[in-house]
Formats: sequence, structure tokens, C-alpha cells
Amino acid sequence: MASRLKLPKERNFEGPAPAWKRLVAFIIDLLVLDFVVVLPFRKVFARLVPDTTSINSIYAYLTARPEINVWLTFISVMVGILSIAYFVILEGRLNQSIGKLVMKIYVKSMQNNITFWQHIVRSLFLLPVFPFVLLWLLDPLFMFFTASNQRLSEILSRTKTVQNYVVM
Amino acid sequence: MEQSPWRFIIKTLILLALFSFISAWLISLFIGDDMEGSGANIGVIPVKGVIMADGGYGIFSEDVADSTEITKLIRKAAKDRSIKGIILEINSPGGSPVASEEIANAVKEANKTTVAWIRDVGASGGYWVASASDHIVASRMSITGSIGVQASYLEFAGFLEDHNVTYQRFVGGDYKDLGTPLRKLEEDERIILQAKIDKMQDFFIEEIAQNRKLPKSEVKKLATGIFYLGSEAKQLGLVDEIGGKKEAIDYLKKELNISGAGIREYKVEKSLIDALGGLMSENFFQIGRGLGSSMQERERLEVYT
Repeated sequence: MASRLKLPKERNFEGPAPAWKRLVAFIIDLLVLDFVVVLPFRKVFARLVPDTTSINSIYAYLTARPEINVWLTFISVMVGILSIAYFVILEGRLNQSIGKLVMKIYVKSMQNNITFWQHIVRSLFLLPVFPFVLLWLLDPLFMFFTASNQRLSEILSRTKTVQNYVVM
Repeated sequence: MEQSPWRFIIKTLILLALFSFISAWLISLFIGDDMEGSGANIGVIPVKGVIMADGGYGIFSEDVADSTEITKLIRKAAKDRSIKGIILEINSPGGSPVASEEIANAVKEANKTTVAWIRDVGASGGYWVASASDHIVASRMSITGSIGVQASYLEFAGFLEDHNVTYQRFVGGDYKDLGTPLRKLEEDERIILQAKIDKMQDFFIEEIAQNRKLPKSEVKKLATGIFYLGSEAKQLGLVDEIGGKKEAIDYLKKELNISGAGIREYKVEKSLIDALGGLMSENFFQIGRGLGSSMQERERLEVYT
């Protein structure tokens, strides 16, 4: 019966992934990274950072011991590099990280195929050192206030995060 | 047919986890104990066993408080800016006077508030070390004091004579074989040895008097070699407080004006290789030099505080 009806054909097209989906995907990825990348470094962190909840005493302790600061920065950068590797490897091969796979969104180049350097640039915000930390503020601002929902890192890397829309 | 992405994802995650573990492990190797910031502000350094200048590390060797290692630990704690005070956990009957002095000097040079916590025994050289600290805490039943020097050896001269063994003496310098167990000790030699012991005893008394801020004459009266129980030592001024670890920590908290105490235990790191190495080298050394000479060497004059 349905086959006899002349219904309009289903049309697929790519459009910007909604911000909430991207946020959920990112949270999933953070959970994965926490388990896979951050967990092994926790013991080392615990050895270096005083066992106190007082920010003041931690600050005083770290100010008095610059050599520990150097190690903490080194470890943070190491964790950042491994996190970038997570996104570069998965998005390089599948165009999706685990979070994006779950949320059914994916990464695309605004030109042809995404190159290695495009993957790197879009993940640079994971490095916890200046100037990349500025992206922690700028990336969400761009994502929420641009029509294409692109983060600044995505604009710079000429990539975008999209999802498939189906319309009749 | 399209392959499931999960296989690749799992492989990637395993690879990343492996890399993270290896990196974390490598980093932890480079982070020294002095960099640990677990909130510790009090360092505890054990001085356990006979105090020697160079202790053996065999698995079955008796407890030795190696002054080389202990002074290293004291300096390490002294250099650590997060450590505000040091507790010396003493359980030692004494040992070599030189080794005891080395540890005592390291304690005095530490430039941090130090407390000696005497457990079962802190006698002779063990007490010398304790006296170098700012405050001494001992149990009322601890054995302490025993300010004195002893030197002894077994003399085999009569035994050798009975078995028709003679000691052929060749020396350059009349007293070169002073204290050999193979012949009788002459009276002049006895006087020389006793004079050396007296001199050492004098150094010992001087150190205790200086460290405890007591008149030398008073320490001299106490320095009969007798040991005192903690409670007696307190009355005599050789110990400041009766108690244990808690009292030692409380003293530091009060002196340093700190509310919380985080303890870091400093220990001589002994790997299995060290222990096995020590055991093997000791045995091979004894076998190599021969049992007889080993026994003879062991029976030579040894001086202890």
C-alpha cells in the first residue's frame, strides 16, 4: 500500500551537530580519558601534591617548591599529549571519538579529507599550557555563539563537527 | 562488509593505557622521596641495632644502624623544606664510638627541631645519638644511659700454650701487635689500652655534658657504665619526658607551632639485590680468607660505646 503512495524521498544531509550533543560527547570522552590516561598518573600526582583540601596550603607548598611545579607541569603536558593522541587516532581513523560515536556525530574537514595537522590543531586545547589554555574559554564561546556551532579550534583547523539529518 | 569500529577503539584504548602506565612509572622513578608532598611535616628516622660505620646488608645479618646511611637520611630530611621536625626512633644498644659521633653530629647539624624517641634501648652510643637531639622522650622502662666505653677480646695465649703452639713475634714498633689474642697482655700495654679507653670515655662524657647542658662533673658521676631505666634517667636529667611516639610528636607540634602532623618515614632502601649481594659477599669473603684467620680477626680488640 505504502509503495503505491508517492511519498517524497528521504533526504540525508549533514548539518552542524547540536551543542548539547557535542557537550555530552565531550563528557563521555573525558570519562574515558580519565580512566585510560589520567588514572595511571594519579599515584604520581598524589605523591607530589600535599594531601590537603586547602587551596591556600597547596599554593604555599607549591610556591615554596618550584621543582615540584616543574614536574606537575610536565605530567600535565604528558596527560594533554596522550589525550590529543586519543582524539587524533580515533578521529583520524573513524572521524569519531567514543563520545561522538555514542552521540552519532562526527568530524569533517571543510575542504577535502582531514589531515593529521588539522586533527592536531582541533585538539590543541587539551594542552594545559599557555596560550592553549585560552581556548578553554574561547572554544565554548565560539561554539555557543556562532551559527555553525564551531569551536575556535575548529575554525582554525578548518574542520567541523556534524551529524546526519534525515528529512522527508 | 563494514568492520565494527569497537575493535579499533579497544585496541587504541589499550595502547594509550599502556603508554600512560609506562610514562607514569618512568616519571615516578625520577621523583625522589624529597619531592614527595603528601603533606608530611615530620620525618621519622630509625636508628635500630648496633651502630656501625659500615653495616652489612645480608638477609640474615643482624640489625645494624649504619652511620653512613643514617647520616644520609638525616641530611635528606634536613634538606626537605616540607619537613619541619625530625624524630629519631632509637632502639640501639650503642656500637662504634666513631659511628655514634657521626650520627650525633649529623643530628646537631640538621638545623631542624629534633626529638629522640627511645624505645626498648637507647644506651651507650644509642644514648650519645639521643643526647644530640633537642628533646629526649623515653618509656619509663626503656634502657638508657650506660655512658661508658668498653673494649674486650678473648686471649688464647694459655690455650695455645696447652697445645704447644707458639706465637712467633716480629714487629716494627714495640706496640704494633698490641691487643693480639695470641700472647699475654703486658702490664705497660694494659696501661696504654686503659688510657685510650679513659680518653674515649672522657670524650663521651664531654659530649653528653655539652649536648644535655649538664655540668661535666655531674655527667662523670653518672657515667659509670650503668644503665638507667627511663624513669630513673628522667630524674637524673638524662631524659626530658616519659612517653612514646605520641609525646614526641606533641613536643614537635608545640615547638613548631603546627596543628597537624604528617609523618614521613625515612628508611634505608634495601633492594633484594642488595640483600642477596650482601649475603653472598660476606660469605665469599669469609670463605676466601679462611675460617681460622676470620676467627682470629674477630677476637681482636674491639671498642664499643
